[in-house]
Amino acid sequence: MDPQPEPVTYICGDCGMENTLKPGDVIQCRECGYRILYKKRTRRKIDQCSATSL
Amino acid sequence: MEGKSYQRFPKIKIREMKDDFLKFELRDTDASMANALRRVMIAEVPTIAIDLVEIEVNSSVLNDEFIAHRLGLIPLTSERAMSMRFSRDCDACDGDGQCEFCSVEFHLRAKCMSDQTLDVTSKDLYTPDHTVVPVDFSDPAGDESAEQRGIIIVKLRRGQELRLRAIARKGIGKDHAKWSPAATVTFMYEPDIRINEELMETLTLEEKRSWVESSPTRVFEIDPDTHQVYVFDAEAYTYDDEVIKKAEAMGKAGLVDITAKEDSFIFTVESTGAIKASQLVLNAIEILKQKLDAVRLSEDTVEADDQFGELGAHMRGG
Repeated sequence: MDPQPEPVTYICGDCGMENTLKPGDVIQCRECGYRILYKKRTRRKIDQCSATSL
Repeated sequence: MEGKSYQRFPKIKIREMKDDFLKFELRDTDASMANALRRVMIAEVPTIAIDLVEIEVNSSVLNDEFIAHRLGLIPLTSERAMSMRFSRDCDACDGDGQCEFCSVEFHLRAKCMSDQTLDVTSKDLYTPDHTVVPVDFSDPAGDESAEQRGIIIVKLRRGQELRLRAIARKGIGKDHAKWSPAATVTFMYEPDIRINEELMETLTLEEKRSWVESSPTRVFEIDPDTHQVYVFDAEAYTYDDEVIKKAEAMGKAGLVDITAKEDSFIFTVESTGAIKASQLVLNAIEILKQKLDAVRLSEDTVEADDQFGELGAHMRGG
């Protein structure tokens, strides 16, 4: 439905690099290969319909 | 319904005054007045504190609410608070922070780019209004020792970022303790200590010594020449009754008579730094006067007679 969903960025737990991941990507830092990433807050709008119908 | 006048003329004598500390005597009034003054200083003297926080980016380890709470607790210089408006009574704005009468806006932007942990402190809060700034606790002597860099809000590691907008508003300690300008306010009754000299002379020097030493605080001393017991520091007495019990145990009941003077109080006031301790007392008196004016305004209404009864009659008597 959403034409171009904004990609989600993650902060590497080791080197602090910002990573952009798309669905299906391997969860791994591009810079150092560390496998723990912390998700940043998205600026995506919450879909009111799906948020309420839960 | 002519009542007797209860008007008195209290006096204040200042003993010690620093920016954040004040010690004074309050005389010729009663406990109700002393306690009213204490309570107003703690809960009703207004200050300015951060009350609304809009967080844009927060990738720190602390959650938004946690950071907003910490920001609220930072004391801000509040000399202006008495002349400011409460944002709820302000009709020049809708309380969004841009109003010069009731709010002050702060911005904070911090991002850690190095391997070293970045301390985000109260000094990183930016405001165009230099009359309302986070309180500076650093030593004016210029001693740049370890933590003289303001109040730590959060620590950031590499890659973490904090970006927010905060609105500070006027408020009182009754609504939230963050608005209280007082760290501690205490008062004690001035003790009236009377030694029964006649009975005291029946004691041997050894007995006097052990009696003087029975006080947990240094209230009494013995004159090295005359061996007479005298009051060294009456205010050190904590109303612990130890010397009275000791006298009784020695079989010398009535050796000393200690009473609290009902109309003399010794106050200690410590400020958070938001306003000077001396200003805190003056503002408290001002607010107490305003509160009494509110009572006086309703003095001759019908409701007032139900509400205040005798008291109303006294007020009319002067």
